[in-house]
Amino acid sequence: MASRGQVVAPASSFPSAGLIRRRPIVLGLAGLAALAVALAAGVGFGSVAVAPGETLGILTSRVLGLDVTRTWSAATEAIVWDLRLPRVLTAMVVGVGLAVAGATFQGLLRNPLADPYVLGTASGAALGAAIAVLIPVRIVFLEFGLLHGFAFLGALGSVVAVYRLSRIGGMAPLTSLLLTGYALGSLMAAGLAMAMHLSGAALRQIFTYLLGSFDAASWGRLAGAAPLVLVGVLLVMSRARALNGLLLGEETAAHLGVDVRRERVTLLALGSLITAAAVAVSGLIGFVGLVVPHVVRLLVGPNARLVVPLSALFGAGLMTFADLAARMLGEIPVGVVTAVIGAPFFLVLLRRSRTGYEL
Amino acid sequence: MRARPIRPTLVLLLALLAAACSQAGATPTPPATPSPAIPPSPSASPPTAGFPVTLTDYSGTDVEIPAEPETIVSLTPAATEILFAIEAGYRVVGKVEDIANHPPEAADVPVVATFAGVDIEKIVALEPDLVIAGGNGGTPEDAIERLRALDLPVLVVYAADIEDVFTDMEQIGVAAGEAERSRDLADAMRAQFDAVDAATRELDRPRVFYETGDQPAIYGVADDSFVASMLELAGADPITTGSSTVWEMSQERLVAEDPEIILLGDAAYGVSPEGVAARPGWAEMTAVEANAIRPIDDIVVTRPGPRLVQGLHGLVAAIHPEVEISGASSPPSSASPAASGG
Repeated sequence: MASRGQVVAPASSFPSAGLIRRRPIVLGLAGLAALAVALAAGVGFGSVAVAPGETLGILTSRVLGLDVTRTWSAATEAIVWDLRLPRVLTAMVVGVGLAVAGATFQGLLRNPLADPYVLGTASGAALGAAIAVLIPVRIVFLEFGLLHGFAFLGALGSVVAVYRLSRIGGMAPLTSLLLTGYALGSLMAAGLAMAMHLSGAALRQIFTYLLGSFDAASWGRLAGAAPLVLVGVLLVMSRARALNGLLLGEETAAHLGVDVRRERVTLLALGSLITAAAVAVSGLIGFVGLVVPHVVRLLVGPNARLVVPLSALFGAGLMTFADLAARMLGEIPVGVVTAVIGAPFFLVLLRRSRTGYEL
Repeated sequence: MRARPIRPTLVLLLALLAAACSQAGATPTPPATPSPAIPPSPSASPPTAGFPVTLTDYSGTDVEIPAEPETIVSLTPAATEILFAIEAGYRVVGKVEDIANHPPEAADVPVVATFAGVDIEKIVALEPDLVIAGGNGGTPEDAIERLRALDLPVLVVYAADIEDVFTDMEQIGVAAGEAERSRDLADAMRAQFDAVDAATRELDRPRVFYETGDQPAIYGVADDSFVASMLELAGADPITTGSSTVWEMSQERLVAEDPEIILLGDAAYGVSPEGVAARPGWAEMTAVEANAIRPIDDIVVTRPGPRLVQGLHGLVAAIHPEVEISGASSPPSSASPAASGG
């Protein structure tokens, strides 16, 4: 595949060289604009109608500390400030996290089907959450309950286990990683099924977690997850060169001066940390992590320097719009919306891509 | 069109992100657990009509209700029925979706929660003085926590057994400022339950299987469950699943236990006695041979509310048709506390 590893996508597949150079900037600006619209819409709309002026008043008085004349009730302020805003921002952070983790795992594993959940993260998190539901002890720390903690630890623990089990002589070959991830994932899925069988009335809690939702977002939970996700994303961005190298294959990467073993472990750890933080607050939301990086690659080529930040932007936008749609449609699972929006868009792009497409 | 609002919004976005991060780092935002200012009184829930009142609820939380609530949100169908029965129905401004609204007026109350979830936004907008939620997963725990974090008084009720139904009723009454009515209602129900118990205690107890569902598997009642104790009160020897958490009924176990009567709590969902008799392997059961498969109104048997007496009478009629219980024919809709009120 000719385009692999080139910093900018091959000119032959696009109309003009000037447009290509400008394309990432245009896409970036469009992404930012879409995100801003998503933020405004996400805070402005909900199951209760709040006048735009009141929303704006609440935001300016809270954010900028301006002394705006209060024309709204305390309930309205709680709806906008304590319910909607943390929810929208959590959707953005989780969207950023899943899209970047997806881009990382796809590059790292050189597998187009990789997503943030590929190495057992999803089943680990789900099993952790289910076990937490079965434990009749209530612990709340900084708004994080047992469920969030166990989901986080389950996600991280499963990746550590997969990595250690797949190591052969110090290195973990890609195929071995993927297969171990699959095997361990299946085992944990069995554990999840058992936990669901035993859960009785708490089954709904597990079910809600499996479907994913931002309904439970709060400032405290956002404050817990956002630093992990955002720092992780920045660190992945700073390793774009290594990610580009790894995409060419281990040998080539080594020739290019990339410390393959170290970079792979680092990126694996970062991707897993981001995913774990995201699934701990939102539950399991599919599709964003798989499709967003592909869409970005189809648009700007495979260079990780562009793919990672643009994935972050598009992931945030898609997730925020998906959550808004899910809310407006009566709290349907947000994963349904991400799939319904994302899949057709992805198919269209895939069919229009004249050069064929590979990672 | 959209071009103008975008740039200010962008600035706003960045400002918001910055504010959110700095705020979250610096100050602990609303505490997750409500801080009960008043220590629990020695006798946890005194049934007095005076406000403010502090009640220790099913979740172990001390719920302080500062004044008689003018607006109430009910997140369990049973609580909705109880509130209407103690004449606090006109103050219910929001309720959980209910497939069997009772009394009919309850149908007009706006829905703020469904099986899929609780619409916190709608509840906050109603500014309720009291929210009554279901324990043990009846209302998602997360929703209860968030409502409390928003400083709404949430009273969690859950009836694990029949006595709990009466205490829940009394507690809801105290919380809603209708302590006397609720106590009268509970006392009247206790008396009617005692009457049924007295009438059925000495009878032969047929083995009864109460079916709660047939899709995808056969579901019965768990050991020591609410429905199991209702069946025992109605003079039955209930066939249960063999576990206190599992409601799925092993068909082998059912055949081995050989029910003498099968009650179809799932009759409202299209299960018919003919269909049950035709199930492979069921023909050998005594109940099927004797044609003792009876549909039953499930809601009044399983919903821990004022119509439970009606449910119990329905069970007795299905299990011991020969027994006459005084007062059993009284119109069920008027779950009136007046009977023992004087």
